[in-house]
Amino acid sequence: MGEHGRTDSYRVATIGPIKDDNRTADGQYKTRRKPPAKKRKAGDLDDLKQELDIDFHKVTPEELYQRFQTHPENGLSHAKAKENLERDGPNALTPPKQTPEWVKFCKNLFGGFALLLWIGAILCFIAYGIQASTVEEPADDNMYLGIVLSAVVIVTGIFSYYQESKSSKIMESFKNMVPQFATVIREGEKLTLRAEDLVLGDIVEVKFGDRIPADIRIIEARGFKVDNSSLTGESEPQSRGADFTHENPLETKNLAFFSTNAVEGTAKGVVICCGDNTVMGRIAGLASGLDTGETPIAKEIHHFIHLITGVAVFLGVTFFLIAFILGYHWLDAVIFLIGIIVANVPEGLLATVTVCLTLTAKRMASKNCLVKNLEAVETLGSTSTICSDKTGTLTQNRMTVAHMWFDNQIIEADTTEDQSGVQYDRTSPGFKALAKIATLCNRAEFKGGQDGVPILKKEVAGDASEAALLKCMELALGDVLSIRKRNKKACEIPFNSTNKYQISIHESDDPSDPRHLLVMKGAPERILERCSTIFIGGKEKVLDEEMKEAFNNAYLELGGLGERVLGFCDLQLPSDKYPIGYKFNTDDPNFPTDNLRFVGLMSMIDPPRAAVPDAVAKCRSAGIKVIMVTGDHPITAKAIAKSVGIISEGNETVEDIAARLNIPVSEVNPREAKAAVVHGTELRELNSDQLDEILKYHTEIVFARTSPQQKLIIVEGCQRLGAIVAVTGDGVNDSPALKKADIGVAMGIAGSDVSKQAADMILLDDNFASIVTGVEEGRLIFDNLKKSIAYTLTSNIPEISPFLAFILCDIPLPLGTVTILCIDLGTDMVPAISLAYEEAESDIMKRQPRNPFTDKLVNERLISMAYGQIGMIQAAAGFFVYFVIMAENGFLPTHLFGIRKQWDSKAINDLTDSYGQEWTYRDRKALEFTCHTAFFVSIVVVQWADLIICKTRRNSIIHQGMRNWALNFGLIFETALAAFLSYTPGMDKGLRMYPLKFVWWLPAIPFMLSIFIYDEIRRFYLRRNPGGWLEQETYY
Amino acid sequence: MIRNPRLEEFQMDMKPSRRPGKQRFTNFFYNEETGEILGRTPESWGKILIFYSIFYAVLIALFAICMVTFLQHFINPRVPRLQQEYSVIGTSPGLGFRPLPPDVRSTLIWYKGTGYESYKYWEDQLIDFLSVYRRKGQTAGAGQNIYNCDFNNSPPPGKVCDVDIRDLYPCTDENHFSFHKSSPCIFLKLNKIYGWRPEVYQSMEELPQEMPLELQQHIWNLTHYNSNFGDMVWVSCQGETPADKENIGPINYLPYPGFPGYFYPYENAEGYLSPLVAIHLQRPKTGILINIECRAWAKNIKYDRRERVGVVHFELMVE
Repeated sequence: MGEHGRTDSYRVATIGPIKDDNRTADGQYKTRRKPPAKKRKAGDLDDLKQELDIDFHKVTPEELYQRFQTHPENGLSHAKAKENLERDGPNALTPPKQTPEWVKFCKNLFGGFALLLWIGAILCFIAYGIQASTVEEPADDNMYLGIVLSAVVIVTGIFSYYQESKSSKIMESFKNMVPQFATVIREGEKLTLRAEDLVLGDIVEVKFGDRIPADIRIIEARGFKVDNSSLTGESEPQSRGADFTHENPLETKNLAFFSTNAVEGTAKGVVICCGDNTVMGRIAGLASGLDTGETPIAKEIHHFIHLITGVAVFLGVTFFLIAFILGYHWLDAVIFLIGIIVANVPEGLLATVTVCLTLTAKRMASKNCLVKNLEAVETLGSTSTICSDKTGTLTQNRMTVAHMWFDNQIIEADTTEDQSGVQYDRTSPGFKALAKIATLCNRAEFKGGQDGVPILKKEVAGDASEAALLKCMELALGDVLSIRKRNKKACEIPFNSTNKYQISIHESDDPSDPRHLLVMKGAPERILERCSTIFIGGKEKVLDEEMKEAFNNAYLELGGLGERVLGFCDLQLPSDKYPIGYKFNTDDPNFPTDNLRFVGLMSMIDPPRAAVPDAVAKCRSAGIKVIMVTGDHPITAKAIAKSVGIISEGNETVEDIAARLNIPVSEVNPREAKAAVVHGTELRELNSDQLDEILKYHTEIVFARTSPQQKLIIVEGCQRLGAIVAVTGDGVNDSPALKKADIGVAMGIAGSDVSKQAADMILLDDNFASIVTGVEEGRLIFDNLKKSIAYTLTSNIPEISPFLAFILCDIPLPLGTVTILCIDLGTDMVPAISLAYEEAESDIMKRQPRNPFTDKLVNERLISMAYGQIGMIQAAAGFFVYFVIMAENGFLPTHLFGIRKQWDSKAINDLTDSYGQEWTYRDRKALEFTCHTAFFVSIVVVQWADLIICKTRRNSIIHQGMRNWALNFGLIFETALAAFLSYTPGMDKGLRMYPLKFVWWLPAIPFMLSIFIYDEIRRFYLRRNPGGWLEQETYY
Repeated sequence: MIRNPRLEEFQMDMKPSRRPGKQRFTNFFYNEETGEILGRTPESWGKILIFYSIFYAVLIALFAICMVTFLQHFINPRVPRLQQEYSVIGTSPGLGFRPLPPDVRSTLIWYKGTGYESYKYWEDQLIDFLSVYRRKGQTAGAGQNIYNCDFNNSPPPGKVCDVDIRDLYPCTDENHFSFHKSSPCIFLKLNKIYGWRPEVYQSMEELPQEMPLELQQHIWNLTHYNSNFGDMVWVSCQGETPADKENIGPINYLPYPGFPGYFYPYENAEGYLSPLVAIHLQRPKTGILINIECRAWAKNIKYDRRERVGVVHFELMVE
């Protein structure tokens, strides 16, 4: 299990430092640079972590045209475009460099235990070669064993390679294969080109619905708005124009970025960055340039492999030397070495682990958690910190009306996805008036062809807040379109950023009422300015100071909830002055826009998903710290954090304490505040120690207005403190953090391709609650892997002890290498895998995440149990069967010691047993192989009990039950396989397995029962004395 | 304000402080701070050792109980629990030869015909092998068991037949088993299988085709002289390859080319001795390795050269 090519340094190496923007002093572009030397990697990555620094938005348009040798009307010349294309390459992101397939394959072929088995196989071939060259009729055993071992390694290698490539193929289904097109002006002509063919200096035209094809500087715009949420996390569309408004390139209004979406209006711009140099490309580069290291489970498996390999090598070398000292022929010593290696290495275990992880991955996929990297299955289970993006992950990424204020009271609207929340009175005149304005003064419309779709899920053409109003009204009033039809629109002043309101004038739907209705919505303070009366309780009242105070309180309260507030007012135009057919002039309003009637406020928010608060609570009761990291504003972020429970009720930030005690913020002891809201600009000032302090001393943290680089720094900060960090996110801006995290979780529906590429896991339903499933499954598989490994390792002792007895006591070999392989790769496999289906013993979501430094997958207690206790009982069972069969056939136990040499010599054709019978070589070997078979069968018998005791680590089996049908099948399967191997005709030739008398299955039974009874008693004491000595020594 | 106490503190798992490798190593052997030796305090070592001592004591006791129960209830020290076709040993005995070479893996009898030092090993081996046959009269208890058997006189149960090795001249120890004359004597014996009785060939017609003509001739002569002699497991030796057949020279079988049927069945009686056939290779070619295969003949003795069933193989090289 390797690193799966997550350590690409390619991009880091090819993307230069930011400060050097690839231009010479006179502003000309340098030619394409050679990749800098490898050793600059660290420096480059640090540069990437710096904030973006370009000046294209600052310079005058003329300088810009000059710099790119382009023209705002005619664009580039074809020749220049061709030249640029050749110089810079296509305008596309370089896909992250993949580890070559053969390297991956080789890693599987030589990683883990494979190396040890290869050594075993090579030793076999060497031993065979020497025998073949010295003895006339060499025994083929060694050659066969060599072939079998090689086959085992190759098959398991291919198997894990296959599993790995299967999970990496998941990504391919996400690749967006639809080519993007862009409208470009070259030599005065409008062309439609593939986005890849764009070059620097091209003049492009973008309209709503398009994806921005490159980073562009806007030179002309008409009501142009872009959705930057995937880049910055802001949930509202941002308007864009030709003016330079901010030093920060991400904030200024005259830049639009590659891969963001235009949602409204049209614009024309100059391409200033292409491909990997775009903001998005740099973030993607930052993501793939990160070295993420091993997953926790890979670390555990490596630790475990080292442990087992250490034992194998130690025993192998020791007995190799002992064999020499005892005067064995060196070839014999080599054969002992092979035997010890084969017996010590659990050949099937890595495949078992892979299968267990795959099964869990499948189970998670069925619960909408798609795992890209198998090893990531467990990572969520050991996660101690989740850094979650807000938009789209915790929230629905859909502006929804949350509150209304009319009749001087705040009404809560239903924001849940399935409309299961509170209902409000829809009959009051205040609401009716407000609803009418919201319905009429609204340009948003449902897109066509969505008849069956629930209202909230329908796509809307238009501004997000208007869409929210539209949906709210559609839910409250029914068919909005027909209402609008009945109230014919006479004229309209659309929203613009200078007057910050929108007016429309409608004819009445009441045929008896000839008056026009003027409706207006906009920024609440602007609306209030234009009102002289207020509509309360069905009556029009004068807007006095008291009412203004009430308005202000409501406005502040809603604003404090992080909601975007809109004010609404209306006016019935007198029919004498404005009869039907009156020509309204919008450019120079010939109708009143003052002294209107204030009706109410509506506030909108991107509401949290319904399942999130519950999921956050579950995470927290599972000891996982949930941190919100968002690009959105602190107030909104804090409001959402409070509503989903990331900041729990009653917990205050430093600012809250200051406000409550009415003292300056600086006087509050930061340790008193459990919660913290940290602003991006604040974060920029902090050094890593200060960040560590924040992460350490605050249990509830919200980071707002963070840049992608800062998200990365936060993740690194958590990791520095020893946490295993999960990051969830959907935007491009999240991808470096996703990659850096121990497990990155991307959103399957809303997520950008780049984020999916960087993530290890994809939530298909975009629901944060699925993470809880992931945590649960991850913790369960960690426990179950422990059980599975404990089960598999136990049989190592009955496998290796025959070899040791063979060398030290000079008895005929009780268990052969082939039978060992039959256990490791045959009978033990299915039961070990079936433990992955085991149910949890206790509520695993109620305990703390495991400590990665002390809670190992395989610890000394597991080894002590498996090797020191259960394994020893199993070995005793095996030896008992061995002695029984030997004695029944004539070799009493005492007779066996010391006859190994004669026994194994082909030359001796008349070896005497305890009854004076004389055995030929062939008959002896048949007896020996019968013993191997019986030893094998007895291991199977004792493994029944082992499997049942491994089901639980603390509970009694009576409590746990035998409901794991995969495991019950495993019991039957291993028994059937053992019987098959023993009784199938021809097995004596092929695998040297001989048919056993039925009674030879029985001697192991007392040992099987004693394993069962011993462990039940042990676990009984564990439960009786929690934390006691027995638990410290034997609870794994 | 209700607060979940669990939510009070999220204890971050701190990375353990890394010490320099050498210090960690010495600390492993003896940690001054905690008094740990090899990672455990003496008290902890004591507890775990007591635990494991008890555990293994119980395990050994369990094993011993099983073993003793089994041996006492199911195993008779005189009679194998499983016999013949019920046992792995089966019903087809193999053959053994003496003297055996010093290396247990080898079947090569190699010596220099002229040097006493060279054949002394083989002679000693044979003397050693035959010593039980000489001593039989003196061994306590065995003497009374000896029964004077012949083809008409099978021994009663508990009695054993005598094997006379004195009239095997030239294959006697006084004659150095003829090794010094480059015409060595090799002793063959049929493997003992408890309760096994040979099914001998009752008539000349039953003799198998592949039986060497020489032996058939011999059988005809013997049975013609006394039909009782037909109750015999016949033995024949020959070179394995045509070249070996040529090099091996004439062979003399002493006392007869077979094991008399009255020695069977073997029932682990006190003092039982396997009947012997000494094969006297009268003029083996010297200076060359001869592969020799000796085969036992009876209706219930199977033969498979590759598996060495019913046959024994050895090499002889006299220089």
